[in-house]
Amino acid sequence: MSLFLQLFWVFVKVNLLSTSGPASVGLLYQEAVGKFVSDAQFVQAVGFSSVLPGSDALQLAMYIGYAAGGVAGGLVALAGSILPPTVIMMGVVFLLQRVRREAWVSSFVEGLAPAISVVILFSAWKIFERGGETGWLGWALGALSLAAMIFKAPARVIILVAGVAGILILR
Amino acid sequence: MKQSKLTIWSRLLWMFLKVNLLSPSGPASIGLLYEEAVGKIMTEAQFVEAVGVSNVLPGSEALKLAMFVGFAAGGVPGMTAAILGAALPPTVMMFLLALVLQYFQKEEWLQKFVSGMSPAVAALMVMVAWDLFRAGSAKKINRRAALIAALSALALFFNLPSPLVLLGAGILGVILFR
Repeated sequence: MSLFLQLFWVFVKVNLLSTSGPASVGLLYQEAVGKFVSDAQFVQAVGFSSVLPGSDALQLAMYIGYAAGGVAGGLVALAGSILPPTVIMMGVVFLLQRVRREAWVSSFVEGLAPAISVVILFSAWKIFERGGETGWLGWALGALSLAAMIFKAPARVIILVAGVAGILILR
Repeated sequence: MKQSKLTIWSRLLWMFLKVNLLSPSGPASIGLLYEEAVGKIMTEAQFVEAVGVSNVLPGSEALKLAMFVGFAAGGVPGMTAAILGAALPPTVMMFLLALVLQYFQKEEWLQKFVSGMSPAVAALMVMVAWDLFRAGSAKKINRRAALIAALSALALFFNLPSPLVLLGAGILGVILFR
């Protein structure tokens, strides 16, 4: 399969099997790292997509597509992310006129949610492990970030601060 | 609606440009979108329906909202305008950032920045996972959700491909959550 076909397919898959942008990160990690981007690039994609305003899913697609195949790669990844929900939505919109709600679609998504959580946790661990900082500094940064998020500090600020802290204190 | 079609389309485009520039992610944009859309181009009931249906479907939150709100307000052309508005700001910004970053990939400070960001990104993902799990089990499906989570963890532990695990979990959901 050519690179563009692979990119397109990965983003179709990831967007069909996740419930929102942030929820797609776990699966995307498993599918993209080592194939299209390195660990460091993936961390940049996730980090900056939560810092910049707007849809995370599209930003991830743009960054990873661009890193893998230039501008054309970015556009292909975007098309893969936008098409599946659009096509499904069209189907549902027209179905909704007759059937109020498709029960099995919602059960499918409900079953998906806990599994997505687990996939995200597995990917989170790998990102942490391969981030290089698994010593006490890395654990401290992770624990502090988690604590700050539990107390509802905005994620974009925490991620920027952690990055700057990395520049200042690492090595 | 007394406005001409063209006005509705350009309003949709502008509205989604604005909403997506001002909100950090899809779910966060719902509040802002409500202010912008309800009473102007659609009724509250239409809006609630759009959010409800978009929660039930897979895919990116921001896009699903754009599709439904756009479609409800202006049919297929309205939907296209809304998607364009929702997709342009984040992707253009990310593209510019990727362009700039590629010149610094070998710089030590960027590598350290990424090393510092990794634990925070991992923490963010833990939070996302927790929120997702909690939102799902809020609907009295605790034990089943936990069962699916445990089975998924087991499958991933034995290196089964994640898309397969997710597909299996969805199908299990269809069987269990009747």
